[in-house]
Amino acid sequence: MTAEHVEKERKGLEGASAQPNLTPEHSGLRQSDATPVESQLRQSRRPPAPRRRNTAASDRRQAHLMVLPAIVILVVVAFYPILATMWLSLHRMILVFHEEQFIGLGNYGFLLSDPRFWSAMSNTAYFAAVAVVIELILGLGFALLLNAAFPGRGLLRAAILVPWAIPTVVSAKLWAWLFNLEYGLITRMLPGHDVNWLGMPGYAMHAAILVDVWKTTPFVALLLLAGLQTIPQDIYKAAQVDGASTLKQFFAITLPLLRNTIVVTLIFRTLDASRVFDAVYVLTEGGPANTTETLSIYAYKTLMRVGDFGYGSTLAVVTFLCVMGISVGYLKLLGVERGKGGR
Amino acid sequence: MSLREIPGYFSAMGRVLALALLVFASASCRSENGANGAAAEPPKPPGKIKVVFKYQPLGSEPEAFRQLLAGFERANPDIELATEVLPNASDVVHQYFLTALEGKSREFDVFIADVVWVPEFARAGWIADISDAFPPSQVKRDFLPGAAEAVVFQGKTYAAPWYVDAGLLYYRTDLVPRAPKTYDELIEFAKAARAKNPQIYGYVWQGRQYEGLVCNAYEALWGHGGKTMDGNRVMVDTKEGIAAMTYMRRLLAEGISPPSATSAGEEDARHVFQNGNAVFMRNWPYCWGEAQKDDSPIKGKVGITTLPTVTGEPGNGTLGGWQLALNANVPSWRRAAALKLIAYLTSLQSEVTLATSYGRNPSRKEAYQDPTLRQGAPFVADLLPVLEHAKPRPVTPYYGMLSDVLQSEFSAIVSGIRPPEVALDRAQKLLDHITQGGPGGQGGS
Repeated sequence: MTAEHVEKERKGLEGASAQPNLTPEHSGLRQSDATPVESQLRQSRRPPAPRRRNTAASDRRQAHLMVLPAIVILVVVAFYPILATMWLSLHRMILVFHEEQFIGLGNYGFLLSDPRFWSAMSNTAYFAAVAVVIELILGLGFALLLNAAFPGRGLLRAAILVPWAIPTVVSAKLWAWLFNLEYGLITRMLPGHDVNWLGMPGYAMHAAILVDVWKTTPFVALLLLAGLQTIPQDIYKAAQVDGASTLKQFFAITLPLLRNTIVVTLIFRTLDASRVFDAVYVLTEGGPANTTETLSIYAYKTLMRVGDFGYGSTLAVVTFLCVMGISVGYLKLLGVERGKGGR
Repeated sequence: MSLREIPGYFSAMGRVLALALLVFASASCRSENGANGAAAEPPKPPGKIKVVFKYQPLGSEPEAFRQLLAGFERANPDIELATEVLPNASDVVHQYFLTALEGKSREFDVFIADVVWVPEFARAGWIADISDAFPPSQVKRDFLPGAAEAVVFQGKTYAAPWYVDAGLLYYRTDLVPRAPKTYDELIEFAKAARAKNPQIYGYVWQGRQYEGLVCNAYEALWGHGGKTMDGNRVMVDTKEGIAAMTYMRRLLAEGISPPSATSAGEEDARHVFQNGNAVFMRNWPYCWGEAQKDDSPIKGKVGITTLPTVTGEPGNGTLGGWQLALNANVPSWRRAAALKLIAYLTSLQSEVTLATSYGRNPSRKEAYQDPTLRQGAPFVADLLPVLEHAKPRPVTPYYGMLSDVLQSEFSAIVSGIRPPEVALDRAQKLLDHITQGGPGGQGGS
């Protein structure tokens, strides 16, 4: 059996596996390019058959009333703070001096020429890119390992979650001790010249990345493991019968079928890593010489230490916009993949 | 079953909406009150006056402090005292007060303020002028000079010094002939000790990017003859500043200080010194108690002295410690009671109790002559020369902004990212921009 054959087999099954929630009830609908969620929505829009018109209208009114509390809460706890921060970012507002003056986009203009902002931006981007790539590769490895059947698998699955279960501040403090140049385990274990991980530019950022990788690889592994378990074993059996090597199976079956899970994982991790604060703050407070200062740390210091609410809000808004941009990009990617998968 | 069949639903919804309206209304009322200031002062309720005191825990045994507070209530039967404990992290406490006081909170009356916050809070109008109870001239007469300088802002007293701290030099009496007076002596003694035992470090201090580094750098600056301020201008890019920073970098470059100094805080330095691995240490007075514990490898081998200088005069340690401030938002009838509490806690008797029970260094000069203190806490009494030489960091409402710049540039110097001349030039430009280019500094265009 040729590789082409495997490919066909895969495509056939992928069509089905992209809509795992299909029930007989749905299957009557025209939905060649619709996801299960979309098809459910479409169905709910269709009026329930035998009822009278005014009942439907009152039902809708009730439905609106039911979601009202949720909307109110969302507005109060999410939209209001975001809009308030945006409004603040258009002001020059320094608490100590009771200054509050509308300056339009003045803060944004200053931001563009603020070298510290650009340094924080590139630190954040570097942190997020390197950490997420390493986490994805390691996480995939762990997920494949945990997906295989072997004695003690349940125990190992639980054990691997321990770093994820520890609060970040605690694990960062723990790592700060491990990195300690005088007493740290890492200095003792590594051969050669002692490296001052947290006190040397260049090293400090990688120490922070290491802490993030240690903490969140289990989370990535868990998400990918869930994705792996939706892939039917039959495909692998078929591939085995056809004599495809394990490596071939991985690239032709596992990776393509895992694509959507990987994109979702990337969304979670990139967003989290772009807003990183606690791990880096505990390890270095942004030092040495701001070489590990991320956007969130810069915003925090400007807001809370300096008391400059105008510019601090500007930094927060820009961080928010970057994160939004990244998520929209990923969601587009996910949409494109979905479209391909359904064809 | 439709919702209309549940009679309680709509009235429940109504109640939720009413509650939400109430919250919004009361929130806007609060800000109205703030704008009108004293006009909206609530009247005094009948009965005892409740005074709320916010402080950080003083030690693991709260009993002595509890008794001290009970003494205040006995002496003032018309006042009911409530205490609230703050976290033991300066940054977090600052953030709390920033938001609470800006929000015109009246939930607390008396609170502790770090030495560098007083001008900032005073400028913002968050803490009350207490010059009537503590006239500046009297503060200067009764309290240690550095502490008095730190609480008097634009000729008025804004807080009462409670207990003080200062940077000092610890040295190993078994490894050096005597306490070093100059930087050259310190380096010479360290090198000699290292020649005998290459495993030992010369001098440990705090070089991580944080407030402690600013304290260390100011001590070097003063030790090289530098001034903190020239009129209203905060000075760092001076001949003395460059000499001071070159000296700090030299400590690392010549191996007098270990590479770990660039990532060390107080505890990192103390652990090295405590385990007998360093000849000298710059730190705060709390390390003495730790060094004298029974299981301490350096027990009985440690001396303390003022920091070295170029000339050999006793050096100035950076002033730390906590002041008691009065929330400016509280109504006048609570202020009077709160002032009584501040006066009680900063009295000679209370300060002696804090010294003997918790090793806190009194802010009042005469406490150091007190026989109870001399007997109960001889180490505190011996600290007087160090504390008398303690100097505050720049006393300015801009301090938070300045420190943010200084931490980064000092860190660049000690970790070798930028030479002192370049980093101090950058720092000075930013400092001038903040303090002279309008209050905004970094926020403006």
